[in-house]
Amino acid sequence: MTRKHVFGALAVAAVALGASGAMAQEKIKVGFLPGVVDPFYQVMELGVNKAAADLGVEVVTQVPPTWGVEVQTPILDALIARGDLDYIITAPTDKDQMVGPLQAAVDAGIKVITVDTFLGDGDYADGPVTFPISYIGSDNVEGGRIAAHGLAEAIGGKGKVYINSTNPNVSSVEGRAVGFQEEIKEDHPDIEVVGLDFNLDDPNTATTQTAAVLQRVPDLAGVFGTNVFSAQGAGTAVVNAGLGGQVQVVAYDATQFAIEQLNAGTVSMVLAQKPFDMGYLAVTFAVADAAGVTSLPKRVETGFAIIDKDNVTDPEVARFIYQVPN
Amino acid sequence: MADSDTRLAERYGGDASAAKTPGRHFILTLSRLWAWAFLALLIAFFVVSISLTTGGSVSFLTLRNSQNILVAITPVLLLGLGQTFVIIAAGIDLSVGWVMSLASVLSALAIRGTFNAGAPLFVAAIAGFLAAVGGAAVVGLFNGVIIAKLKVPAFIVTLGSGFIVRGVSLLLSENTTVIGLPPGIRDYGNNALLYYLHGEGGGFFFVDRPQLAGEALRRLDPILPWPVVITAIVVAIAVFVLRKTQFGRHTYAIGGNMEAARRTGINVDRHIIMLYILSAGTAGIAGFLSTLRFTAGSAVIGDALLLQSIAAVIIGGVSLFGGAGNVIGTVIGALIIAVLTTGLVMLNVEAFWQFIVVGSVVIIAVLIDQSRDLIIGRGRSG
Amino acid sequence: MAEPILSVRNLTKRFGGLTAVNDVSWDVHAGEVVALLGDNGAGKSTLIKCISGVHQADEGEVIFRGRRVRFARPVDALANGIETIYQDLALAQNLDVPSNIFLGRELKRRYLGGLIRMLDEKRMTRESQSALDSLDIHFPNLLQPIESLSGGQRQAVAIARAVYWDARLMIMDEPTNNLGVPEQHKVLELIRRLRDQGVPVILITHTLPDVFAVADRLMVMHRGRKVTEKKTADTSTEELVQYMVGARDDSVAA
Repeated sequence: MTRKHVFGALAVAAVALGASGAMAQEKIKVGFLPGVVDPFYQVMELGVNKAAADLGVEVVTQVPPTWGVEVQTPILDALIARGDLDYIITAPTDKDQMVGPLQAAVDAGIKVITVDTFLGDGDYADGPVTFPISYIGSDNVEGGRIAAHGLAEAIGGKGKVYINSTNPNVSSVEGRAVGFQEEIKEDHPDIEVVGLDFNLDDPNTATTQTAAVLQRVPDLAGVFGTNVFSAQGAGTAVVNAGLGGQVQVVAYDATQFAIEQLNAGTVSMVLAQKPFDMGYLAVTFAVADAAGVTSLPKRVETGFAIIDKDNVTDPEVARFIYQVPN
Repeated sequence: MADSDTRLAERYGGDASAAKTPGRHFILTLSRLWAWAFLALLIAFFVVSISLTTGGSVSFLTLRNSQNILVAITPVLLLGLGQTFVIIAAGIDLSVGWVMSLASVLSALAIRGTFNAGAPLFVAAIAGFLAAVGGAAVVGLFNGVIIAKLKVPAFIVTLGSGFIVRGVSLLLSENTTVIGLPPGIRDYGNNALLYYLHGEGGGFFFVDRPQLAGEALRRLDPILPWPVVITAIVVAIAVFVLRKTQFGRHTYAIGGNMEAARRTGINVDRHIIMLYILSAGTAGIAGFLSTLRFTAGSAVIGDALLLQSIAAVIIGGVSLFGGAGNVIGTVIGALIIAVLTTGLVMLNVEAFWQFIVVGSVVIIAVLIDQSRDLIIGRGRSG
Repeated sequence: MAEPILSVRNLTKRFGGLTAVNDVSWDVHAGEVVALLGDNGAGKSTLIKCISGVHQADEGEVIFRGRRVRFARPVDALANGIETIYQDLALAQNLDVPSNIFLGRELKRRYLGGLIRMLDEKRMTRESQSALDSLDIHFPNLLQPIESLSGGQRQAVAIARAVYWDARLMIMDEPTNNLGVPEQHKVLELIRRLRDQGVPVILITHTLPDVFAVADRLMVMHRGRKVTEKKTADTSTEELVQYMVGARDDSVAA
């Protein structure tokens, strides 16, 4: 299912590339407004910039310094006020609160493409929110399930596990937590989820919270960190407590830190998303839409690479680690 | 004896003019106006630089942009208004950011609850307002009583109460955003008093937003969104109270010499309590407006705003030691911060520069304030 | 002599084990300046605070204008016309002269049928000007913050405030401390003017020259007790010093 969507999207990309080459297009201007400063979005920016270079698109990028609608919205407003943007590619920091501000962008004549996180329920065809052109991101529920399966295997099928996540009401991490819990409930009756905390996208908070749980539940077997900062913070707490290797950690998002912990044995599995793809495809969709394409898929799932100790050295897999060349 | 008395009388009367040589007078006036000058320079800078870097395709001084800036300063300014009063009275309120979040959560819960119970939208909105300001006032009362009656330093009390408030907000919102509000609420938070449609079919529209589609929508600019109107009213009231009423005068007196105020019969304890209720109250209004704008209640929305509100107040010329400053200064301070944020985005400069610049401006503001003291030469001739 | 404006009868005040004021009786009459002398710890400030409502006496009574009074708070004494000018003046440095004179008792005007009450700054400035004029005090600009005034000028503002509010009894605590010589003269001149207007003044002071410059009578305290009460003209500096250090004591029958 996932693969089909990706192939479809790549087909569209081919059309767009062809289209932009064939006709002398008016250069479109695209705004890129991710969620926050972190390696995931930095790799996405690489994808955006590469597509912009390949397709002759001008990009204006603004990265919010911290996560939150109160930080993202004024930046969004300023981008709208420029008056020269045709599209905005964004990762909304709240699936409900950002509906209004992004609707305002549409009202001002700017089309919206969401990446990584979606608005409403993510169904832009029949759901409550339909104005964005498309949602390009991971199937986070599926990712949560994969993470649950991986953690279950790593801890031998039974024991207590803990989830550390970032913000409530953010579609991406919400999906991961939901998928994780569903998978545990359906297929792993001997595993108990002892808690779910929100670190509000601060790795220090994640560390503190995880450390507290490690104290509270001495026989904790595994931890699931739902994104960059969560996995980083939780992993740090496990290492600091001297439990690296005993408490299994599954990390979402393949940062350098996560890979280091993988190699050190603290983390047993890393789910790498494909932010480069998300960024590249988003720009491609903008070009296609500007060229008059009307059959762009409303939802593109970009898939995962599952990295563990066995394949981390394989270059085909290692290329999905979030690295930004200097 | 009579002769020396006359001479002494002249000398006595002449003493007071020591501070007022023309050069000093000029510097004093300049130091009072520097924030205005800086704001003007900042705007000019952005107008020129944005025009240059985008080859004229983007303009800083557009109607839409000016409204954006006004909307952007709303939360910081509201928090700053209450803070201005408190700081003039030589206190400080560190809980305002968290109180705003609490108010946001309370108003969201109230709006959702009353609407689902069958009340019309307008009534639900009123319920939200009362919940926000009422809840905030309770916190302010708590702060004020402990500071005034138990004599615990304001810094500590408001910091502690702020943390408690944050916990309560997260508790009430069940650790997530409070959603499920009636969608019509968003119009209250985002619609405007006036609309202007450029080009054909153009003109001013009062309150009723014209239903447009497609290309015509781009030409529609909102003027004076409701949050801006409400904030302007609150600012006007604040200016009046501080400058023209006994309450305002006593606020300055308490900041200048609390003991003197007490001795002349001013009920200092009661006044302090009212000040902290006031400061929490403005935070409550800010939280309510935020809920309207985003159609949701958030327990974390006010977190970053405390420091920004204090920065706005300091840039505006309120002394942290109390006794001096005014509301208009705070408005200028908030405008400087908002113009910076918006301008830097339009210039495509990284957002963190905003922090660096605002921090620098705060330090400059304090330095100017200190140097003004030196120039006046606090008269302690003996 | 006429009926005293203020009569203190057998007043005693204790703080824990310490008797700060011990069985003191004393009269002050209209139109006179009475100096209250004594070394540090003699009990002068405490006695005054019992009169002005900061403290309440443990024994004895205070009779003011013919009525027995017991002020629970300083504000009550103020309401009865007892104005105290403290060493620190109790002025707000950041406010101007009219604001200080009317501090806590601001004049207001009503608008909109009484809904809004605004400060009547014009009237307060006018009244301040005339109060200062009546005391022959002149400032070039009334509307600057008083922190830019000299010590003596601020002292004058404090006095003008007390006079404006119809002080029936003026208590001044060390008014010439921290003042330069010309300003000291000016303050003493103001005290004389008050006396001439019929306002009795209690002058707490260390400074013996001031006593001889301006006081009609004096009272000396030592270790909480009154050791003498006499006319200034009937004594000398050397004698006063002896009283103050406890070498002479009129209360002990010789």
